[in-house]
Amino acid sequence: MSTAAVAVGVLRLAGDGVTHRYGARLALQPVSFEAGSPGAVAITGENGSGKSTLLRILIGLLRPTGGSTVLEVGGDVFEPRRRRQVTGLATPELSFYEEFSAAENLLFAAETRGVSDPRGAVRDALEAVQLNPRADDRVGEFSSGMKQRLRLAFAILHRPAVLMLDEPGSHLDDAGRAVVATLVQTYSERGLVLIATNDPQEMTLAQRRIELRGRGLGSPA
Amino acid sequence: MIWRITLFLWIAAAMTFGLLKAPLVPVLEETTRVLYFHIPSAWVTVVALGWSMLHSILYLWKRDLRNDDHAAAAAELGLLFCIAATVSGALWAKAMWGAYWNWDPRETSIFFILLLYSAYLALRGSIEGDEKRARLSAIYSVVAFVAVPFLIFVVPRMYDTLHPNLIVREGGRMKVEMDPMIRWCFLAMLAGFTVLFFWLQTLRVRVTRLERRRQLARG
Amino acid sequence: MPNGGSNSAAAVWAVLRKECRSEWRTLYGLSAALLFAVTSLTAVSMAAGRLADRTDILAGLFWIVLLFATLTSMSHAFVREVEGHTMLLLRLIASPTEIAMGKLLFNLIFLGVVELVLVPLFMILMGAPAPPWGPFLAVLALGTVSLAASSTLVSAVIAQTRGRGALFGGISLPLLLPVLAAAVNGTRELWGGHPIASSLRLLAAYAVALLAASLLLYDHLWED
Repeated sequence: MSTAAVAVGVLRLAGDGVTHRYGARLALQPVSFEAGSPGAVAITGENGSGKSTLLRILIGLLRPTGGSTVLEVGGDVFEPRRRRQVTGLATPELSFYEEFSAAENLLFAAETRGVSDPRGAVRDALEAVQLNPRADDRVGEFSSGMKQRLRLAFAILHRPAVLMLDEPGSHLDDAGRAVVATLVQTYSERGLVLIATNDPQEMTLAQRRIELRGRGLGSPA
Repeated sequence: MIWRITLFLWIAAAMTFGLLKAPLVPVLEETTRVLYFHIPSAWVTVVALGWSMLHSILYLWKRDLRNDDHAAAAAELGLLFCIAATVSGALWAKAMWGAYWNWDPRETSIFFILLLYSAYLALRGSIEGDEKRARLSAIYSVVAFVAVPFLIFVVPRMYDTLHPNLIVREGGRMKVEMDPMIRWCFLAMLAGFTVLFFWLQTLRVRVTRLERRRQLARG
Repeated sequence: MPNGGSNSAAAVWAVLRKECRSEWRTLYGLSAALLFAVTSLTAVSMAAGRLADRTDILAGLFWIVLLFATLTSMSHAFVREVEGHTMLLLRLIASPTEIAMGKLLFNLIFLGVVELVLVPLFMILMGAPAPPWGPFLAVLALGTVSLAASSTLVSAVIAQTRGRGALFGGISLPLLLPVLAAAVNGTRELWGGHPIASSLRLLAAYAVALLAASLLLYDHLWED
């Protein structure tokens, strides 16, 4: 696999009337949008408007109860169940094996994903989030900020074409936020970055915005 | 309406003839009469459970909640008929063998089926969310049905059983000695029970759908 | 880039290695299962005494002890991932089938290790005569495959319910009763010096049926 700087080719991510309900509760109002690379798109909306739900649907973890999504990378259409191969997700819900070190967790992920040079990928990812000094410490001993950095490292481990960040700045200090900004910069140049956030500063990292709310459709700004 | 009355009269007539008119089978004597109730119940159990599994597979294939309604309803009814078959069998066993329960292979397998589908319903009760419940219970239903042929056909053939094999002989031919009167009453009950099952099934499915619609309207 | 939606053996292998390493680090499952096996063996042997001449009863006791010693730890295969919130991590890096296959292989190895301790211990404590080892190991192996296959699948389902661990026994035992019946029967026959071909056939057929159904169903395990 090439370095992060090389563009992934034509990329299209679109949703058409995507909606999800858990039983009677509507978790995501129908939303339609279209996004492509290069670029970064912020997904905003009040708590419970379905930002995380939308990301889970886009990455293929959750089958929406209505509507459809399309992901096309370099002329190749990725069905929901294959999307995890070309997408990376960092979300506060993501936890690691506490009995393993940061490097071991990432190495396991890289090997399972079938990354060509797992050790190299782990080293690069840890470096990108400036966690390498603590690479061999057990995750159980990590602070919440370090865990957040590890989530970011996990998301970029396989150099995804679409990087999805759910509240990337949570628990992070200034240096950590700078890491997020750099990642968004790098990955929006070669592919697409989605940032689910309500933080005004994080929104400025993106050029466009999809707002989830009310009964309305997502309106790319 | 008319066919429901017909069904009622049909079963009532078959039952009356079976209980009052039909001759008795030697050895079984008076206990012959349980056959009109016991075997159709056991038969419907298998039909219902097969129906349930079929709709479970359809659900996994198409993700249409209507299939899950059918799977759930058929499992409930299957369990009900399974209890009927078990109880009537136990009563018969008391009369013939002197005890309600002997862990005869037939008794063992019907008891396993009872457990399997109670577990299925317990599982349904513990999952939140319609899609999730439908998907996970469909998975369980398919695995459970893997066990059913072993229980119904393989295990009782492997071990010695005292259970009479009145109807089906090697090769599946009807036993020639079966009295025509017995056979007609029996077949009439079999048909009646099968129709009864499908009627109850449509009722149960309709109730489930109404409940869901009400829930959606409220939410 | 990894190919298509097809499952890769490398991913299964990675999941299996992760399971082994995690177990090696924590020894949660193994210590619990061994402790449970030894305690239940002690209880049984104290309650029943030495039964050297009653191999028919020994056969039943053996499978019950094995079943109970292993069921408790089998149920943790996925419950532990859910409770540690690591299920999401797994699902992001592997397909459902890869995850479940890795767990299934781990469960097989796990059961093998527990049996390695349990079988000699059972023979010694219960004063059981040495069985004909070939047939005995055949029955044991086939029973183990069915046990691992059904508990892997049920554990994955159970981990997503409200009750989680609590339901596991009630849900997986009915699936295992045919295995238990055939395995006990086979063990009884081999101790009695009878042929066990029909029990072996039944066990093998059931194991194959369970595995085939599992492989078809794994793909549907996680979707939300």
